[in-house]
Amino acid sequence: MAFVDYYQILELDKTADDKAIKNAYRKLARKYHPDLNPNDKEAQKKFQQLNEANEVLSDPEKRKKYDQYGKDWQHSEEFERARQSRGNAGGQGFTGGGDQFSDFFESMFGSGSGFSGGGRGARYRGQDYQADVNLTLRDAYEAHKQTLTVNGRNIRITIPAGIENGQTIKIAGHGGKGTNGGPDGDLFITFSIEPDSKLRRSGNDLHLKAEVDLYTAVLGGDLVIETLSGKLKLPVKPETQNGSIVRLKGKGFPVYKKEGQFGDLYVTFDVKIPTNLTERQKELFTELAKS
Amino acid sequence: MENDQLIAIETFCTFYNVEYSFVESLRNNELIETVVVDDHRFLEIPQLYKLERMVRLHHDLDINLAGIGAVNSLLDRIDSLDREIVSLRNKLRFYEPGL
Repeated sequence: MAFVDYYQILELDKTADDKAIKNAYRKLARKYHPDLNPNDKEAQKKFQQLNEANEVLSDPEKRKKYDQYGKDWQHSEEFERARQSRGNAGGQGFTGGGDQFSDFFESMFGSGSGFSGGGRGARYRGQDYQADVNLTLRDAYEAHKQTLTVNGRNIRITIPAGIENGQTIKIAGHGGKGTNGGPDGDLFITFSIEPDSKLRRSGNDLHLKAEVDLYTAVLGGDLVIETLSGKLKLPVKPETQNGSIVRLKGKGFPVYKKEGQFGDLYVTFDVKIPTNLTERQKELFTELAKS
Repeated sequence: MENDQLIAIETFCTFYNVEYSFVESLRNNELIETVVVDDHRFLEIPQLYKLERMVRLHHDLDINLAGIGAVNSLLDRIDSLDREIVSLRNKLRFYEPGL
């Protein structure tokens, strides 16, 4: 746990008076307030630090304790006892440990010292949490349950089918704890969907490139394609041109939160020209070219 | 509208330790919408998040009503632009899958 310089956080020197502390807090809070910086984790972290610094420096008792023990905060209780019994504050070295900011605060002032925001005793909604979840296109195709661990808590969520890349959903009440009995914050989950090597998504439609051999393209036949819902037999009309597209209605991506509704699947035919032709085959193609 | 989807303004004010007059001022300035049922004013759930944000801006940053109105409309714009970016990025990804 590392020592936190609250003066540095508020960009103040140690002689700052109450007014200067208040002004510094207001100025920086306007810059980093989470409501003014949505989805900015750095700003949220910075705002939390500002609150913590303000909580300590704007309270004369806490500030006194912080100023008195500073980096030796870990031993402040021992020092206090020693000072009272021997009239000597002594000096023991500071030893750092982890890097959790609020652990420092709690160790020095106790976990009961919550932030009060604009006024002491006011009920405040807990902090909103942000989380990122990576999905494959196949994952996003079907509704499924997933367990996330957010700030040490396991949260089981159902991800609806058809979620979009970059879409954020809110899980109410799964953010930080409220202050003084205020409601808990919300959890915002942003989904990142990895592109698929074969299928491309455009809104609720899917696009697929299907290789078809020259003979099937010329004479017609059937083609089996792999879709997210399984294998599909696709008839190929005779004289199918390279790059031609067929639309398979309702075979695309599920529409978000609209059960039973699907986009379309667009299949582009990629006609493959045969290679390594035998002499006989070359003769036949020459004949065809002449006819 | 189901009544369990409504929150009495008094309940909100007590819970958040907010003056009733502050919520009234927000309503008078058309920054929030309320509904009246049996002579009592209520908030609809979607308005709750908006109002909570305004209370935070007011208490945490000392922003007055005019400022809250301006911040609110800018935040709404950011939100709509963010959604547009996501949608455009997804369209672009169709042509450049690596994005």
